[in-house]
Amino acid sequence: MNTCCETLSPQEQRIQEEIKGIFNYEGRERIYKILNSFKNERPVIDIERARYFTESFKQTEGQPLVLRWAKALKHIAENITVYIDDNQLIAGRVGCQGRYGILYPELDGDFLDLALKDLPSRVESPFNISQADADLVIDQVGPYWKGKTFHEDLAASLPEDTLKLTYDPKDPLRSRFIVNETASFRSSIQWVHDFEKVLKRGFKGLREEAVEKLNSLDPLSPLANVKKRPFLEAIIILCDAVVLWAKRHSALAAEMAKKESDPVRKKELETMAAICAWVPENPARTFHEAVQSQWFTQMFSRLEQKTGTVVSNGRMDQYFYPYYQKDKQEGRLTDEQATELIELMWVGMAQFIDLYISPTGGAFNEGYAHWEAVTVGGQTRTGLDATNELTYIFLRSKREFPLNYPDLAARIHSRSPERYLYEVAETIKEGSGFPKLINDEEVIPLHLSKGATFEEIYDYAVSGCSESRMPNRDTYTSGCAYINFAAALEMVLYNGRMQIYGDEQISVPTGDPRKFKTWEEFWNAFITQQTNFIKHAFIQQALIIELRARHFAAPLGSALHDLCMKNMIDLHQPVIEGGINLGYFEYIGYGTVIDSLAAIRKLVFEEKKLTMDQLLKALEANFEGHEAIRQMLMNSPCYGNSDMYADSIAKGIDKAALEFTKTYAKELGVHLDLRYVPFTSHVPFGKVVSATPNGRKAWTPLADGASASHGADVNGPTAILLSNFNSKNYDYRERAARLLNIKLSPRCVAGEEGTAKLVSFIRTWCDLKLWHIQFNIINKETLLAAQREPEKYRGLLVRVAGYSAYFVDLSPDLQNDIIARTEHAYV
Amino acid sequence: MGHEKRSDDKHGFVFNIQRYSLHDGPGIRTIVFLKGCPLRCQWCSNPESQKVSPEVALNSRKCIGTKECGFCARECRDGAIIEKDDGQIRIDRNACSECFRCVDACPSKAMTLFGRLMSVDEVLRNVEADGIFYGRSGGGMTLSGGEPLMQPGFARELLKEARRRRINTSLETCGFVDWKVLEAACFHLDTILFDIKSMDPVKHKAFTGVTNELILDNFERLCREFPNLSKRVRTPVVPGFNDTMEEIGAIVDFIKGRPNIEYEMLAYHRYGQPKYEYLDRVYTLSDVHLDDGRMSELRGMAKERLGKLALENEPTEPRVRMEAPCATCGS
Ligand code: SF4
Ligand code: SF4
Repeated sequence: MNTCCETLSPQEQRIQEEIKGIFNYEGRERIYKILNSFKNERPVIDIERARYFTESFKQTEGQPLVLRWAKALKHIAENITVYIDDNQLIAGRVGCQGRYGILYPELDGDFLDLALKDLPSRVESPFNISQADADLVIDQVGPYWKGKTFHEDLAASLPEDTLKLTYDPKDPLRSRFIVNETASFRSSIQWVHDFEKVLKRGFKGLREEAVEKLNSLDPLSPLANVKKRPFLEAIIILCDAVVLWAKRHSALAAEMAKKESDPVRKKELETMAAICAWVPENPARTFHEAVQSQWFTQMFSRLEQKTGTVVSNGRMDQYFYPYYQKDKQEGRLTDEQATELIELMWVGMAQFIDLYISPTGGAFNEGYAHWEAVTVGGQTRTGLDATNELTYIFLRSKREFPLNYPDLAARIHSRSPERYLYEVAETIKEGSGFPKLINDEEVIPLHLSKGATFEEIYDYAVSGCSESRMPNRDTYTSGCAYINFAAALEMVLYNGRMQIYGDEQISVPTGDPRKFKTWEEFWNAFITQQTNFIKHAFIQQALIIELRARHFAAPLGSALHDLCMKNMIDLHQPVIEGGINLGYFEYIGYGTVIDSLAAIRKLVFEEKKLTMDQLLKALEANFEGHEAIRQMLMNSPCYGNSDMYADSIAKGIDKAALEFTKTYAKELGVHLDLRYVPFTSHVPFGKVVSATPNGRKAWTPLADGASASHGADVNGPTAILLSNFNSKNYDYRERAARLLNIKLSPRCVAGEEGTAKLVSFIRTWCDLKLWHIQFNIINKETLLAAQREPEKYRGLLVRVAGYSAYFVDLSPDLQNDIIARTEHAYV
Repeated sequence: MGHEKRSDDKHGFVFNIQRYSLHDGPGIRTIVFLKGCPLRCQWCSNPESQKVSPEVALNSRKCIGTKECGFCARECRDGAIIEKDDGQIRIDRNACSECFRCVDACPSKAMTLFGRLMSVDEVLRNVEADGIFYGRSGGGMTLSGGEPLMQPGFARELLKEARRRRINTSLETCGFVDWKVLEAACFHLDTILFDIKSMDPVKHKAFTGVTNELILDNFERLCREFPNLSKRVRTPVVPGFNDTMEEIGAIVDFIKGRPNIEYEMLAYHRYGQPKYEYLDRVYTLSDVHLDDGRMSELRGMAKERLGKLALENEPTEPRVRMEAPCATCGS
């Protein structure tokens, strides 16, 4: 390393040591034994879930969907292979040993045969599958689902104008990446269960509740007979299924204990057998039982359905705390043991890979994306600070053992204690991208205005990428639209057409821009295109909401939801009385659009340094031979610099989008709020957009989330925060999450003083009521070295979009995208 | 652009305003760089700061050449833009009348103007943009340069007005100024960053163009008359100039025991070097290298004698964010 990059983050130091062959496993021998057993293996597809799910569905045609789902889960629970892993103290996996992914043919069964051929060679997140398994899926699973999947129904139901913006009309498997639906690659968006319910009552308690309700149904009521009865029966079957599955683990552990010759391991297996016999059927009594009970629940929930981003873990430092505290008081548990148990859970999580079959899903979720967010900190139900000893154990574990599972989210509020913020900052400084921060001061008032009670929203859990969930209050789970607004801009330039799709009229014609005389005309044309996209996104959404109820059910999710149990209705139904439906639509390419509009306004209409014709010629030529024009465009005011010229445009387009949903979301009976959270979609979305008037070359990535375009933010991170603040319309409740990436060089945060300054930066972010922030603390040099010698940098974690992933697992496009994010050094 | 005008109490030449500065005073700060410096340190990493008047710089790396552009040559009325054989351009500094039309015409910002006349209010509005960060971090405004007190009235008014607007103030000085000027600034200061480069007057003169008597006198008087002002003494450690135990030891002994003192050592770096090219100047110190081991020895000694150092992790980066990639790593 040369002198100007001499400050390394702890992660970079560790990787340098590992390159030299120095590993430090001290105190974590068990954890590393497990981790090293699967670490660098390419994931394998396990087909058992798909197979048994389909077998059962073949037998239950015509029955109520929720009942079919519960029966299918029971069939899986009875037949799926159960495992007890070497060295593990926690049992429960839903596929073969090592890294694995499972299949959800109810989503994508219609093209599983095609997809399985591609998976091993896919650039983004490849998977392996054995020939025998592939054949079984192709012969027995796929054919059953052909003609039955959600995806096919949706494609068939879209009106022509909407279809054109959604899929290639000739091949609905291919997204156009314009108004992109995400409902067909996941049956639900991110979700958090009320895990506390399982810990406190056990599935026995939940079953009793369902039985009681069943017994008190009005036997004469047709509704009770047709809807409520099958729902409650489904819940009972589901509870039995989970318990049965757990008991099979208990039996296996007991059997293995008998054969075990090592007395220490024998004892461990006996303990596991006892614990799995008790939970999750009964309430947990110890920390170990609580961890096991939660783990069974979350793993079984993965068998139930594919939620986008993997089901999140909720507020672990809160619901585990009573068990931790009691065990500590009674001398049963040390902090080291507690840490080991949670890390055993982390290495379990790290083996389950969220598998996206469709090319669109894969492109959206690069680097084996996953967001099983564990939330720490924040406030209690009564509004007090919620940090406790467990909060610090979670943070410390992330610093000392920075695995990319689970994703860690820290809630920050205006009175977060100094110690908490310092430990959060210290953890960020480690350099692996954890934790991401979510701001109570934005989330709480906003949700109050959307109808939550104080008690509910004080207790929110971070969910998925950057969302919040109130596990017993919000109910919306339809996948939502990701909209490519850089394409909307292109539609203005080419009168409703896009370069990549030739002469096809894809969106509404807004006239030849060469004829526009004023900036207002251009602006209005853009807003027309933007609005047209949102209109079609809402049309999609209306259909999706209807269709979802006919394709999916979630008996486990429903059993854990107060409102579903109260109303005796499945979570996938569109209307659940008393719930709040918090959907969204996604603004992709924000920075790209703003900078382009600012450049056009300034250079074409105000300073008249360029004509529209010159601009269009340069764009059509992808700037070949027009470098001077490109430079002029790039050097116009840009978003991310706290410059009101650009920021007021940013606020204007945000406001126009908010106005639309304010008017029309009501018709759908849901909130569809404006969000800026791209996953990795800004990369594939960029691939369909030709050169843009901010100087961006054709087919390169768009700006991500609410971050500035690459290299456009030259005034440092304070200006980025202020641009975000400047461009938000705080008077609209229709706003939702904004994802904000900040890349800092390790020098910026070096030493105690660096920590203090990072803390004050975070405090100010909190004051500004910005929703989310995450940091990459890394030297560009390290990223370049990892591109050159990926074998040496297998362990290098980077923050991508609300999650951390191994840099070498990302496609070259996304790697370059991360390198191009502006790094802020101090002066 | 008001570059025809002159610096007075209410207006001055600023060549950069840098937000999110972490190492020039407490908290998160904004540095205002003023033009002009009485010293000519051989290692200077901000050569654009030396002259008080504005000047044009040309970063050839950013220039896209006359084939696709050449706007500057078309705008220049003095024939001072010379086209080179390779399609790049250079400035004939003798012919240039400093009208800066080329700067306005350049699409790629390869041509930049160092030094813009700004009013006190204009500067402070810029500084106040990050006000919310100062509140949380204890930061504020730092005046730097050059030597900010080369524009004494403007510097004083900036500090005074900043204080009135409740912005924490800090000044970075080379100390080579009239005591009265320094004193006037100190009345409006929360922190002062004072450079002491060498205790040896002969060496000082050889490497910076001036001797150190005035600097050291000012420093002693500063300690006497403003004992409560928080002072950070800084030494750029430059190989071949002061990177010895004796040199640094002498400085440490000189400042030791004085009131409200912190000490910081800045490692020599060459990141300012490309800017010499942009300004058509020659960098005379280009082939020296500061040894990491030497730096930590010196730091260890200073720490031992003083008890502690201001910053354990001091910056190794250019003070003014550069336009060209780092000469060594390309970042
Ligand atoms: S400053 Fe004026 S005279 Fe000098 S090179 Fe530029 S245009 Fe020509
Ligand atoms: S105007 Fe700028 S980019 Fe164009 S030739 Fe002159 S210096 Fe180069």
